[in-house]
Amino acid sequence: MESRLAHLRTRRLPALLVSLAFVAAACGPSATASPAGGQPTGGQSAEPSGPPATFALPSFSPAAMRWYCCLGTGEDPTQQPTEKSVADAVATVFPGSSLKFEVVTYDSARDTLATQIRGGNTPDIVGPVGIGGFAAFQGQWLDLAPYIAKSHYDLSQFNQAAVDFYKSPTEGEIGIPFDVYPSMVWYKKDFFSEAGLQEPPHTYNTQYKMPDGSMADWNYDTLKAIALKLTVDRNGKAADEAGFDKAHIVQYGFEPQRDDLRGLGAYWGAGNLAGPDGKTVVIPDAWKTAWKFFYDGMWGPQPFIMTGQVYASQEFNGGGYAFFSGKVAMSENFLWTTYGVADAGTDWDLAAIPSYNGKVTSPLNADSFGILKGTKNPDAAFAALTYLTGDASDQLLQAYGGMPARPDKQDAFFETLGKSDGFPTKVDWQVVKDSVQYADNPNFEAPMPKYNETLDILSKYMSKWTTTGGLDMDAEINALQAEIQATWNS
Amino acid sequence: MNQLPGVTAAIPRFRLRRGPRPPSARMSPLARREARYGFLFISPWIVGFLAFTLFPMVATLAFTFLNITLAQEEPLRFVGLDNWTRMAGDQHVWDSLGVTLRFAALWLPISIIVPFTVAVGLNSKYVRGASLMRTLFFVPYVVPFVAGVLVWEQMLGDTGWVNAFLKLVGVDSPPSWLFDAGWIYPALILMGIWGIGAGIVINLAGLRGIPTELYEAARIDGAGAWATLRNVTIPMMSPILFYTLILGVVDVLQYFLVPLVLKNGTGDPAGATLFYNLNLYKTFFTYQQMSYGATLAWFLFGITLVVTLILFALSRRWVYYAGER
Repeated sequence: MESRLAHLRTRRLPALLVSLAFVAAACGPSATASPAGGQPTGGQSAEPSGPPATFALPSFSPAAMRWYCCLGTGEDPTQQPTEKSVADAVATVFPGSSLKFEVVTYDSARDTLATQIRGGNTPDIVGPVGIGGFAAFQGQWLDLAPYIAKSHYDLSQFNQAAVDFYKSPTEGEIGIPFDVYPSMVWYKKDFFSEAGLQEPPHTYNTQYKMPDGSMADWNYDTLKAIALKLTVDRNGKAADEAGFDKAHIVQYGFEPQRDDLRGLGAYWGAGNLAGPDGKTVVIPDAWKTAWKFFYDGMWGPQPFIMTGQVYASQEFNGGGYAFFSGKVAMSENFLWTTYGVADAGTDWDLAAIPSYNGKVTSPLNADSFGILKGTKNPDAAFAALTYLTGDASDQLLQAYGGMPARPDKQDAFFETLGKSDGFPTKVDWQVVKDSVQYADNPNFEAPMPKYNETLDILSKYMSKWTTTGGLDMDAEINALQAEIQATWNS
Repeated sequence: MNQLPGVTAAIPRFRLRRGPRPPSARMSPLARREARYGFLFISPWIVGFLAFTLFPMVATLAFTFLNITLAQEEPLRFVGLDNWTRMAGDQHVWDSLGVTLRFAALWLPISIIVPFTVAVGLNSKYVRGASLMRTLFFVPYVVPFVAGVLVWEQMLGDTGWVNAFLKLVGVDSPPSWLFDAGWIYPALILMGIWGIGAGIVINLAGLRGIPTELYEAARIDGAGAWATLRNVTIPMMSPILFYTLILGVVDVLQYFLVPLVLKNGTGDPAGATLFYNLNLYKTFFTYQQMSYGATLAWFLFGITLVVTLILFALSRRWVYYAGER
């Protein structure tokens, strides 16, 4: 069960900048689209595999390198053959060099990497890694800027905002844009038709036709009203009907993205726990509202969201993403949901994220590859990185299910993705492209003080809220804030 | 060289009181040669102990006064007692210590009483198939640890076999063993009891070592089963019980692997499985604060040492060594 999650959790990253970048990217033609892959000559230097012609890797000594995975996605058995194949190809592309692909499952990837770094056994390349992964190892990343400059690597093929997304004020340019995962609502069309309900809107800022024929804004109140009708007990009664047996629910109306309280809140509004001074904990009001909505959905008189206990049961996918159980009508999640969504059946589609206070926010994950400061082969590692994010990116992106950061490759990506085994014949992928325009800014995974400690505190409260009824959520949120603040102060 | 009066006199008196000369002075050439060989053969262990145990321990003690982190963004420097002061005010440390102590209060008595009771039962002449049962009790001990925890995770899940059985016997709302902070400790204890095979074997060995004459004498004196247990078995077993108590205390203070495997080290539900040692592990490897982690480790070592010393001191009152008194 956890293993299933593991990969997925990965990729959250994102950023506001990215959003803007990708929005623009999704809406129009991009700048120059040149492969980033490098082809060394004689193992000493490389020339670009395509325009711009100025890209050329400086000569470097061949090296035996290590590629550390999986701080993000990448551990799934279906992904590994592609990753190994790409890693093996490095020896061909850069004669004399090699890249060894190493998988450490997501659950233990951070601890293992920390141990390796401390023990002087530093891998060369790490990835795919999202904003959260970069933040968890702040101070460990190599500044790529000098290598980009020396090789004349063409960053103009990406939107500038996407490039800036990986610029750290303290570490420099730590990644090259690779892929992006916007959020949408994933829903089961058959459940809506069975309940006689209109499907949720695919277009942002439109209204929803309620069962009584009235039109309502597509916001969380509307979503809740529908979710209640789609939450069904073993007797076939919906959650908003008299006699509903909430102890024996067989189908849930809604499932939020519950990997991280920050992400859960970000669907209601962008924000970050760090206040303007970077030292004071400020929980965005939208997040507080989201958490209360989440809690009420689980423990309120008319539940439509599963509790932690139900979420962990095998019946609802054993702690994996519950939408995959095929027993959830609507779920908010990132694009990487594609990795397992086929398990939900062949009658699903994508819809717009609801608005909160008239504003839509679609949290974003994005991945890249980084090089650790401790690498003994920075030049060779940069060459390999340009290959992974360049010529090899098509293969990797298909394996990861990530939307290419290069705008010119997105249509082809969705065309291939749509042909995945077990997918419906028609999925409205335009929703994905549209969602980018509503990406959260600031991104919920942005760096904050005591990053890993804070994540653990958030996780503890998430666990408490999902497994304990009857809590005073205002008091809980205050306690959460105080505990994080105490940690930041220590 | 002149020596102070009194000192010269004290030294011979001291030596006289201490008795014989050092053994080496009395060793024959053969014994000295055997001793040299002894040291030679044991030297790999000594080198290993020095390199992999003593030196790292001393090093971590030194770390507690430095500012070592994984990133090491600040220059390495001496920080005095900063790490210790921080620990004193770190609520997470005390919370995790509280988790450990609460669990210890539940588990320790069980970990001693249950193996002892089962062993007494298996040792009874009235029990049929004791050999088979002894084997069955011990089998879980040889099951790979992680596999055992994962099996229990499935059994204790909300829809697992345990709850299925409880529903079968009429319990409408069986506990959420693994997801309710109030039930997670009973769940951990159930898993622990499953693996007490080694404790049973140790207790059985102790019971078999009690002279039968003592039981015969008790029977002649008219002692019943309870009186025999209280006045013969338990006193004679007290060294074994003390041994299991000491090991149990050390083990429970270092309790770590089960919550790590079962809950992936998250401390779920709601921090109820964030044991001290798990917090220590996370401080090192997740939070990457090496010096602070070393401080927590030494604090745990100190607690364990103090508790152990207290138990040893108290043992004089209840542990009976036949050779001593």
